[in-house]
Amino acid sequence: MSQLVAIITSPDPAVRNRPLDAFCRAASAADLLAECADLERLRRTSNNLYERVRALFFLYAIHRFHLPQKEGVASRALIPFHGYEHLLKRRYEEAISIFAAAQTSDGPSEPLSSALSAAYRGLAFQTLADQVRRSVRSVRGNQWMFRTGHPADYPIRIRPELLKREPGGPFPILHEATPVRMDLTHSGWSDIFFLGMDYPEAARVLNVSIDLAVRGSGNGAPKPPVEAYFRVIDRPVLRLVSVDLEASAEIEDLDVLFDFGRDYLGLLKAAVIASGIIPPGMEGSGQPLAAVLEQLTGKPGHGIEIVSHVNDIPKGSRLAVSTNLLACLIAACMRATRQAQSLTGQLDERERRIVAARAILGEWLGGSGGGWQDSGGVWPGIKVIEGVRASESDIEFGVSRGRLLPDHRILGRDEVSAETRVKLQDSLVLVHGGMAQDVGPILEMVTEKYLLRSEAEWTGREEACTILDHIVGLLRTGNVQGIGEATQRNFEGPIQTIIPWASNLYTETLIERVRTEFQQDFWGFWMLGGMSGGGMGFVFAPHRKTEAQHRLQIIMRDAKRKLEGGVPFAMEPVVYDFAINERGTWAELLTGRDAGMPPGYYNLVLPAVLRKETRMLSESERSDLQQFSATQTPDRIQGFFERLLPRQQNDGGRGESLDSLLAEFGFDPATHDQIQSDLRSGRIGLAQNRLPVSTRIEDVSHDEVFDAADAGRYRSLGEDALAQGAVAVVSLAGGAGSRWTHGAGVVKALNPFCRLKGRHRSFIEVHLAKSQRTSTRYGTDVPHIITTSYMTHDPVERFLCEERNYGYPGPLYLSPGRTVGLRLIPMTRDLRFAWEEMPQQMLDAQAQKVRDSSRAALIGWAQSMGEGSNYTDNLPLQCLHPVGHWYEIPNLFRNGVLEKLLEARPALRYLMVHNIDTMGVDLDPGILGYHIDSGRAMSVEVITRKIEDRGGGLARVDGHMRLIEGMALPREEAEFDLSYYNSNTFWIDIDALLSLFDISRADLANHDRVTQAVRAMANRMPAYMTLKDVKKRWGKGHEDIYPVTQFEKLWVDMTALTEITCNFIAVPRARGQQLKEVAQLDGWLRDGSAAYVEARM
Amino acid sequence: MHIKKAVITAAAQGQRTLPMQTLIDEQGADRSVLSLIIQEAVRAGIDEICVVVWPGDQESYSKLAGNTAGRLRFVEQAEPRGYGHAVYCARNFTGSDPFLHLVGDHIYVGAGGRGCAQQLVEVAAAQDCAVSAVQITRENLLPYYGAVGGQRVGSGIYRIDTVIEKPTPTEAEQSLVVPGLRSGQYLCFYGMHVLTTAVMDILDERLNDGANGRITLSSALAELARREQYLALVQAGRRFDVGVKYGLLYAQLAIALAGHDRDQVLSHLLEVVAERQSGAAA
Repeated sequence: MSQLVAIITSPDPAVRNRPLDAFCRAASAADLLAECADLERLRRTSNNLYERVRALFFLYAIHRFHLPQKEGVASRALIPFHGYEHLLKRRYEEAISIFAAAQTSDGPSEPLSSALSAAYRGLAFQTLADQVRRSVRSVRGNQWMFRTGHPADYPIRIRPELLKREPGGPFPILHEATPVRMDLTHSGWSDIFFLGMDYPEAARVLNVSIDLAVRGSGNGAPKPPVEAYFRVIDRPVLRLVSVDLEASAEIEDLDVLFDFGRDYLGLLKAAVIASGIIPPGMEGSGQPLAAVLEQLTGKPGHGIEIVSHVNDIPKGSRLAVSTNLLACLIAACMRATRQAQSLTGQLDERERRIVAARAILGEWLGGSGGGWQDSGGVWPGIKVIEGVRASESDIEFGVSRGRLLPDHRILGRDEVSAETRVKLQDSLVLVHGGMAQDVGPILEMVTEKYLLRSEAEWTGREEACTILDHIVGLLRTGNVQGIGEATQRNFEGPIQTIIPWASNLYTETLIERVRTEFQQDFWGFWMLGGMSGGGMGFVFAPHRKTEAQHRLQIIMRDAKRKLEGGVPFAMEPVVYDFAINERGTWAELLTGRDAGMPPGYYNLVLPAVLRKETRMLSESERSDLQQFSATQTPDRIQGFFERLLPRQQNDGGRGESLDSLLAEFGFDPATHDQIQSDLRSGRIGLAQNRLPVSTRIEDVSHDEVFDAADAGRYRSLGEDALAQGAVAVVSLAGGAGSRWTHGAGVVKALNPFCRLKGRHRSFIEVHLAKSQRTSTRYGTDVPHIITTSYMTHDPVERFLCEERNYGYPGPLYLSPGRTVGLRLIPMTRDLRFAWEEMPQQMLDAQAQKVRDSSRAALIGWAQSMGEGSNYTDNLPLQCLHPVGHWYEIPNLFRNGVLEKLLEARPALRYLMVHNIDTMGVDLDPGILGYHIDSGRAMSVEVITRKIEDRGGGLARVDGHMRLIEGMALPREEAEFDLSYYNSNTFWIDIDALLSLFDISRADLANHDRVTQAVRAMANRMPAYMTLKDVKKRWGKGHEDIYPVTQFEKLWVDMTALTEITCNFIAVPRARGQQLKEVAQLDGWLRDGSAAYVEARM
Repeated sequence: MHIKKAVITAAAQGQRTLPMQTLIDEQGADRSVLSLIIQEAVRAGIDEICVVVWPGDQESYSKLAGNTAGRLRFVEQAEPRGYGHAVYCARNFTGSDPFLHLVGDHIYVGAGGRGCAQQLVEVAAAQDCAVSAVQITRENLLPYYGAVGGQRVGSGIYRIDTVIEKPTPTEAEQSLVVPGLRSGQYLCFYGMHVLTTAVMDILDERLNDGANGRITLSSALAELARREQYLALVQAGRRFDVGVKYGLLYAQLAIALAGHDRDQVLSHLLEVVAERQSGAAA
């Protein structure tokens, strides 16, 4: 029997928990392929969810981390395009069949393993998501909602109490207020659905319901942060209002209700559906909404209104604000429709469980996906939430070991005394650090590591479980200092052992400064939720809490200022006041004069009412006006009138600022106008980036590329050049790094992305460390140039100054950009081309639905803003764009940096130019020697293509060997016929390059001559139109992402010039791969790439 | 995906003569059941049709094909190993191509201008995967059909994740409830599918795994849903099983009421009903 199948299927935990890595380290390629065949059989035939999913993760990990390292596995192969298409469409089974067939016919290879690993991983997560979806639908209390597809079957009715009103008076309002939850520990993210369902014994969270107020906001004492209001209205519509997001809609059509991405009301819509008011079974039924509302209210021409309100709590608080708001809305809807017995006050335990189950359903409908315990705010006080083994009476029985829904065990006063609760409140400082983060990838990593049983992570998980018991014990004894120590130990130990990315430089800076300042009175750090940097806790001796609150605000502000050049922050950090909420979600019925909506509601809704003729007003609208006039203070009335008659926005300052930036950074209005006019007329665009379809694109053969493994014989030539100071390094850092930060507008080069050699280091620091190592080894300081742009120059300069060049002793130059572009509102045809004609990674069905509707909304946005217009609706710096890295090399000629460098180093002859995110690249003497020996103008480093390497490659284009950008390929599939991918590292002979530009070293002092030469060459380079994401921040930590059009010129197109002589060098992946997305980091750390870099620092 | 081949199964014991039954089509012409089914396939753009028959039936079927005989191939199902086996008999004909599959004892009357098979073929070509026609069916009819469960992915289109042949109401409630349908309604097969070669591979595995029993098509389709994207298309038209009691009569009425002689047939029917009513009253 296969050893890995035996591990998966063993009933003995000691065998079942054996790690995959231990087996794979000793196995040969043939052993692993044989195991893969057995695992493949197991995952196809097993009816057990855990076995199927674990087999899939084993297959993924073998192909991702182990097989490519084994002897006999080829580094070069072609990946079938048809399989890739299936992968994008989430048709994983078909993709696996195609890739496996290619592996059988062509033999095992790194490229095919990369494709198989991507497909197995995708299938594993899809299998898990499908199971959670099935379980959510099958939970008792949820099932009927999927069977109701017609108003005639609709069983829900409004409570009579909500339909009673005095003549001319308002309908009563049901008001629900719910605390949020904070976790004292989540036992290593054990609340992830699959972990709870597979390993219920270890799925345990210690969770506290709390009220909040932002310190210093003037909003008084802490109160439940989320509120819902429900009432009947005399219009046959579903009116949804989000006061804090300032959004409202009157929905008359079921399709609009199920369209989650079209506005900011997705969460309210999910609540309406998950609460059963409009059951999910109604989707696509084609039935009129008014007919359902008539059944619901029992009154023709009536509908309902649901209002949500979040009290000043910013997004990303790690306190599960959205899930608890969803639960709050669902609770109100269930009470209002007799699905909960209690109209007011607390819910009973059975009702709370249904609310939690439906909140999970709502999360799934809205395409988000909170944790298993996130709706903990529905319950009162302090509780232990635990996974439960499925018994025969559970629908999960036979499918998974645990139930979907956990049990909540409230810790009473007998277990945690009132005094201890007060002590906890008096010691803990809760903050929002302001960082913007996506926890999604972390949850996937946790699931993956759990199933692989990686040694260190598994030990960490076991330790995390013991910490929970320890903290519960400390709560019983009232030892809050011990709790601080335990949460700190949890953060430094198990949490970071399982997921190193849970911490970051910002958090560690805060902890260090707090510890230095408060010494023994700082009792410990406490990570809230999925990762640190947003919501966090610091435990202090009670007598210093007030001081600590004050100081933390300042410490966070200072740390943010220091790091914000390279770290995306969504908002200014805040400190909260908080109190433990001992009653959980709570409702009251507001009647008569008390039936008022929250502050802000009337500002949002009444202006439209006032525009109506008096005779057209409904009774409800009249009573709203009365309510408003009777209860509003002069301040609020003034705010209302400002809303009604908005003052003319004074954006003169911003406009001027954008103009001044454009002037400062070398904006060329004539070129911009030409591009704008060409874009609008359709002469340029995404589709026009492509070469004609008649272009011949062919792969190059192995012997046309020099293998860096053979560079040893040129080593001494390269070493001599290094010793003579003939080489400089150019790091390209002018780009925005859109994929890294999703358009946040921070400098990727400064992002402290990973802990290397003991501490978090930025991209720049790593490259300087490698140059320093070379300098030391060859006894000559290597000049290092960092190119910058309008966006990156000041932060890089400031950072290097503060960090004293990270101790780099050699000459360090910044090469500022000389050109900038102004972003444009995209053309609808380009958006459609990118989203409908180019291959796209589809998402899970529900998430895809949300994305589709968001895209429809973005097309509407582009049309309303004016297609092809200047993009100015954002911070000025977010409206500009760098114009591509082609310019970054000629900028060295134009800005005087090369001239200065050559003056200081006349022996300088070569430049090694590389992307800021190509972490493994260094001044390899063998490759340098080969370049020198060849006598060619340029050498280009390439790597063999894996499935994630998208964007062109090395090809013969109509017979000429060159790099071709992905956007220029006439057909998508052409890329899959190219076996080498561009690493974007170039070795350049300076004199040959200058000659190509028709200038010499002496001409560098002649500004006009240089400018003319650069312009002439730029005109020969194609300009690519691209769509990039740009973030616009608003409100309290909210971010919208818009696609904008910009253009760029790329250095790869220099290889297309017939007069340039080029070498192409195949280098190892660890040297040539680029880090484009944060989600790559974990694999990069685990597959040895990080160690490769550390060895060169 | 281009679908140019069709497979019609007509070898089931006790139903072999059904395709030979004669009906009057919408234009008033005499047509056999088989020729109506062939017409449905041809309207969907099918060039070649394979009819799976019981040994010896080929000649009688050939005579029924009329001017479409040139498109027809016949293969024999030499042993009664089930519906799945009947489809499998056409594997040499289908080769590596996707194909439209129709059953020889069903007649389809479309709700719109386009034929049911045509709509099915269009969806299969656009989605590049197998698609089965399904109809919303009340739970009391579950014992007669194969039924599917899945997720709605578009208007009238579902991604199938479960296939159960003649499910019990309990099985149906647990695994086959799909959003947008009323309580007690399920998606049941309509006797019309576009299938990929993977189905033949699955049938091959099932038939060669040593078991000698009968092989259902539904069990192969259940496996297909695990291996590939597999969709269901809800059909608004009606199907008529000419093998059940009055099936042929109902089919004839539906065709006649949709055809040239609609008024004549309708008035005659009313006359019969009125005479019976007045007879009963007297």
